[in-house]
Amino acid sequence: MLSRLALRSDVVFTELFRVAPLCANVVRTTQTKPAVTSTNESIIVPGFPKPNGLPQPNPFDGPERDLVNFPRMVRLEEPAKTRYLFVPEEWFEVFYKKTGVTGPYVLAAGITTYVLSKEIWVVEHEFPYVLATIGLFYVGWKKFGASLAGFLDKEIDEYEASCNASRKGEIDGLTESIENQKKEVWRTEAQKHVIQAKRENVAIQLEAIYRERALQAYNQVKRRLDYQLDLANLTRTVQQRHMVNWIIENVLKSLTNEQEKQSFKKCMVDLQALAAKA
Amino acid sequence: MGIGDYPAEYNPKVHGPYDPARYYGTPDKPFGQLKLGEVTEWVGRRNKSPKAIAGLFSRAYWRWSHKYVQPKRTTVAPLIHILAGSMLFFYAINYGKFVHHRNYKHH
Repeated sequence: MLSRLALRSDVVFTELFRVAPLCANVVRTTQTKPAVTSTNESIIVPGFPKPNGLPQPNPFDGPERDLVNFPRMVRLEEPAKTRYLFVPEEWFEVFYKKTGVTGPYVLAAGITTYVLSKEIWVVEHEFPYVLATIGLFYVGWKKFGASLAGFLDKEIDEYEASCNASRKGEIDGLTESIENQKKEVWRTEAQKHVIQAKRENVAIQLEAIYRERALQAYNQVKRRLDYQLDLANLTRTVQQRHMVNWIIENVLKSLTNEQEKQSFKKCMVDLQALAAKA
Repeated sequence: MGIGDYPAEYNPKVHGPYDPARYYGTPDKPFGQLKLGEVTEWVGRRNKSPKAIAGLFSRAYWRWSHKYVQPKRTTVAPLIHILAGSMLFFYAINYGKFVHHRNYKHH
């Protein structure tokens, strides 16, 4: 009996949860077998290969992806519309086509009246709590609704900003660095002018040094030529003086006493002649 | 296909990230568009295994959750839903005690 029950329960269990058939794309973990597949298949996204440390393309962006019928899920900004804080707007829309605006209210009032009058909804000692709860919600909504909503909106905005802060900061930083790079490129254009000015400056210095050296060479050459000139002049003067001295010496040496006396007499005669004329 | 696995119809390559609020099988005609005579046939076509019913409730929960709980600027509506639902639920399970408080003499 027990064994039959066990067998039956096993069959039921298998039917219910289908543990037994092991599909190729389903990986199971048991206590004896570690959670490692023999195939090269991901245990996180079935049907896709293991990452193995390599960068993998997004498995949901394959060519088979049907984005028309299965678009990406987006978190709603605002919840679905409700009336009286909690009644879905669609319920009123269902009635609006058939009965107009008052239909749902008439139905709600009618049902309430019916269940109250037939005492299906029994008015016992806890009935006022329903009214009290509705009143509390109304008062709370009137008194704190707007301020609480504002506070929570501010909080959620701050939280979202803090979640996005690192990503946004990185994007801002990269944008700023791009701007700085562009500014640097713009500045390097000025560097062209600076380098040209520096080249001209160097050219001017080279010119100045060239002129200075040319002047120096000129001065040196002139000095040497002046020396040669002075030397030549000196040589000629010395030679001339020497020749004059030599000639005078030799002339004086060649003069005899006889000649001296004759010339002296001649001088005297000339003097007397000059005196007679005067 | 065991507990905790995706539905057999779900193919991540085609359907993308899994949406727990969505039915990935071939959709039947919506209940709201049925003629009255088709209802029995429609109910007969339904898969009534415990797993399918659990999936139905799971999808319903996630659809409600995506609609009222998950949005960024959600309201007090889901809280009132839970409150009203639990009030109805506990009223229903305690109904046997409440009926004794009826005051009528003649209905």
